[in-house]
Amino acid sequence: MPQTDLKPKWHSPGLVDWPLVLISLALTGIGIGLIFSATSAMGEAGRSLVLKQITWCSLALVLMALFALFDYHSLDRWAGWFYVAVIIALVAVWGLGKVTAGSRRWIELGLMRFQPSEFAKLAVIVILAKYYQNGAEKQERQLSRLIRPVLLVALPMMLVLIQPDLGTAGLIFLIAASMTAVAGLSRRALLWMGGVILSVIAILALFGDRILMGYQKKRLLTFLNPDADPLGAGYHIIQSQIAIGSGGLFGKGFLQGSQNQLMFLPVNHTDFIFSILAEEWGFVGCAIVLILFSALFLKGVAVASQARDNFGALLAFGCTATLFWHVAINVGMVMGLAPVVGVPLCFLSYGGSSLLVSFICVAILVNVSMRRFSY
Amino acid sequence: MSELPLREASLSYLRTRIRVSVAIILLAMGLLAARLWQLQLLRGESFLELSQSNRVRIVRLPPPRGKIIDSTGHVVAENNPSFTFSVVPGELKDPQRLIHTCSDILGMTPEKLRGLLERSRTIPRFMNYPLKRNMSLEEVSLLKLQVSDLKGVSLEAKPRRVYPWGETLCHVTGTLGEISAEALVKGPKLGYQAGDFVGKSGVEKEYETYLKGEEGWERIEIDARGKQLGIFSRHDPQPGSDVILTVNAEFQRYVEEVFIHRAGSVMAVDPDTGRILAMVSKPGFDLNMFSPSISERQWKSLNSDPLHPLENRSIRGLYSPASTFKIVTAAAGLAENVIDPGHKFTCKGDLELRGQVFRCWNQYGHGKVGLHRAIVESCDIYFYELGLRLGGDRMARWASLFGLGQPTGIGLPQELPGLLPTSAWKLRTYSEPWKEGETVTLAIGQGYLVSTPIQLAMMTAALANGGKLLKPTIVQKVVSHDGRVIIEHVPLVRRNMPLDPAAASFLSTAMRDVVADKRGTGRRCRVPGLNIRAKTGTSQVIRLKERTAEDDRIPYHERTHAIFVAYVDDQPKKLALVVIVEHGGGGGASAAPIARKIIARYYGVPDPGDPSD
Repeated sequence: MPQTDLKPKWHSPGLVDWPLVLISLALTGIGIGLIFSATSAMGEAGRSLVLKQITWCSLALVLMALFALFDYHSLDRWAGWFYVAVIIALVAVWGLGKVTAGSRRWIELGLMRFQPSEFAKLAVIVILAKYYQNGAEKQERQLSRLIRPVLLVALPMMLVLIQPDLGTAGLIFLIAASMTAVAGLSRRALLWMGGVILSVIAILALFGDRILMGYQKKRLLTFLNPDADPLGAGYHIIQSQIAIGSGGLFGKGFLQGSQNQLMFLPVNHTDFIFSILAEEWGFVGCAIVLILFSALFLKGVAVASQARDNFGALLAFGCTATLFWHVAINVGMVMGLAPVVGVPLCFLSYGGSSLLVSFICVAILVNVSMRRFSY
Repeated sequence: MSELPLREASLSYLRTRIRVSVAIILLAMGLLAARLWQLQLLRGESFLELSQSNRVRIVRLPPPRGKIIDSTGHVVAENNPSFTFSVVPGELKDPQRLIHTCSDILGMTPEKLRGLLERSRTIPRFMNYPLKRNMSLEEVSLLKLQVSDLKGVSLEAKPRRVYPWGETLCHVTGTLGEISAEALVKGPKLGYQAGDFVGKSGVEKEYETYLKGEEGWERIEIDARGKQLGIFSRHDPQPGSDVILTVNAEFQRYVEEVFIHRAGSVMAVDPDTGRILAMVSKPGFDLNMFSPSISERQWKSLNSDPLHPLENRSIRGLYSPASTFKIVTAAAGLAENVIDPGHKFTCKGDLELRGQVFRCWNQYGHGKVGLHRAIVESCDIYFYELGLRLGGDRMARWASLFGLGQPTGIGLPQELPGLLPTSAWKLRTYSEPWKEGETVTLAIGQGYLVSTPIQLAMMTAALANGGKLLKPTIVQKVVSHDGRVIIEHVPLVRRNMPLDPAAASFLSTAMRDVVADKRGTGRRCRVPGLNIRAKTGTSQVIRLKERTAEDDRIPYHERTHAIFVAYVDDQPKKLALVVIVEHGGGGGASAAPIARKIIARYYGVPDPGDPSD
């Protein structure tokens, strides 16, 4: 690898992939509108949530601009330190974090709430990109080479899992798996992986009783059969599906979603924001948002395939995978296709950490794409 | 450049794989779109109907809180329904009619009611905005007539804690308050929500898990507007269990009335069982101030009151036992064979020790004095001498046997253990060795030694029951709402005092003469027909260079505390009693008369008044 210039280079704005930026902004804007509707029944408290989201968005934009300045190869250099920092933050959360609703996920830093598990995703992307960038040729693909990346991923995953945060841990796994599948494994190994995944599902099915925590078990069972417990765990899913389905083709209109307004859907401004979209804007609204997301993903893949080196390609791919899995799982969960795990929807869900990380992912994509011609 | 082809090769390998992911992305998005199609377009109609017509809402039913009842069945803390009249802004169609018909009944001017209705529009449209709380039953019945067909109003009954005995047993009962944020975190598992009331002090706090009960729920059908259609099912809440106290509220009230001074504590205990018969801490406060919740102004005034009415002095007041401690010193002296009952010391009014002068309260001195007279007339010099021969650590050991320096385990929150100084403790805390002067002050119950009234009460009880240090209790039983006894108190002996019967008998006689003898310091406690055994104490608050005879000249906060411990052990019901009057002056002067009244009342004899001699 030639030594690249690590000082920020001024690239002409023409090289910035504006569609990426615009799609992100459009989605965030839609999100703010949805949050406004979701929280309108909360009176004063709702207003402040909307304002907070707008603030986070502005912060994210600034961060994104900063991220675009430096050469992404410096991530290669700092990958190790970033990883260690995130691990330390995760351990700190476990130790000192503010305990909210039974799980430790936050560290309070004055006015900001800092959720390290979100940044764990980034750390995993960067560290795996760094690890896999060399030797993408088939010859070097052996399962033994995977031991180190598996450990590197398992550590933050475990720290997140014990918070407990099944959703984010699962996401980390999926992101790592995606990146590994693309860069780390031969076709034969991929088949092996498929086999392993099927076995894991089988093991959970047979022995899940003993491995999973009580409410996690409940969640999976509820996912499989929500009607079994309509007032408890199944409540969320059933209400969400009613909300979505009742939107019909064009939806009920802005602020007219009755499921939402009567507060049948708890946490509707975070994990279940897609239900608001579906109820108020119908199939048409959902289709538009899904198309925007698809465009985002495809663009991300394009950036990855046009990157000028493996590191950039893997970074871009990892970021795209992050955004993709978030959307796939969240929207699937909200529609009853996936178990209810706490995974927010990029750009749309309320939440500073989630928004920041989503924008950082886009920023990395922009960064990699900007530099695809420089040598 | 030779690198390029290699890079190209690896890149193209990656590229192909990356392109495969495009297929996966499109597949997943397609799947989601298909599901949307299914839910919204194929089944959209039925979901729409569901969302508009029947809907289920779960309403939480809070459980009725258990009662707190005294030993004779009088209720000290219970729940009354309190009515709140609210408006549902999203449903209110005819505000004019509401104002017109209800403002009188509610006791408000129409303008005020209109103002409230204006403000109600700021909250979510389908929630209740309270217009008036704590309405009386008449107001409620009048209101019901007027609003029976009015849309958009609601009348709710919520339980409210009431205290029929007002200030009596206020510290023992304790107060309720809204659950704090920290406690709420563990809440969902225990069935608490924001806004729930939990015990904050006293029995209400200590027995919270029993008093609380179990919440129930109701599954209500409501329509698209939030209007209740019917009740699907109901799971009744389980009322909390009742807590039965060992205290007789009437006796407690009498004790509170008889204690006429500004501040202090009275503890009466049954020496055979450890059951508390009265626990008074003055000043107190009216528990009903806290119901439904205390106003900011009242809270501030309670907290800034220099006499701290919210503190339960019986378990948190720290006082030097002063001369009441001489019993312990005497017991130690006899048991360790340092002295025998006949041994005499000479009291000249003062004692010099390495340049420091220690005085006796009688500046002229008692002359040659033996143990009996030393106790009866509370000679300090005798005990200085005895203390020096025992040494600080031996006295501390005996004090500890009597329960000083350790919490009694009464089972009320925030009991303080007091302080029992030893040479090891002093080295640890001040990095200084124990001084002989400190032995001397310890012997008469001053110096670093501090104890709580309840510790003194249990110490006295041990004297009354022949040497058993018991664990006190304020709760006799906890009974579930369906009559099952969940907890029942059983007397627990913490420790047996190694006091031989001859020594015990000697002390007992001496303490009887404290009251009976015409020079006994406790003579104001005499009740004909009863053998009251007691010891007075006058606890110094600050070091005085000279003893001033006139207490009134000394500012309140510098006056000594008056302490009196007493017991009766030859009646069918025994009694152990401690009276502490803060800044009350002399123990015999201020505390003894109060003890007399209490003892007379307990044994059902009339109070003879002060003795004429």
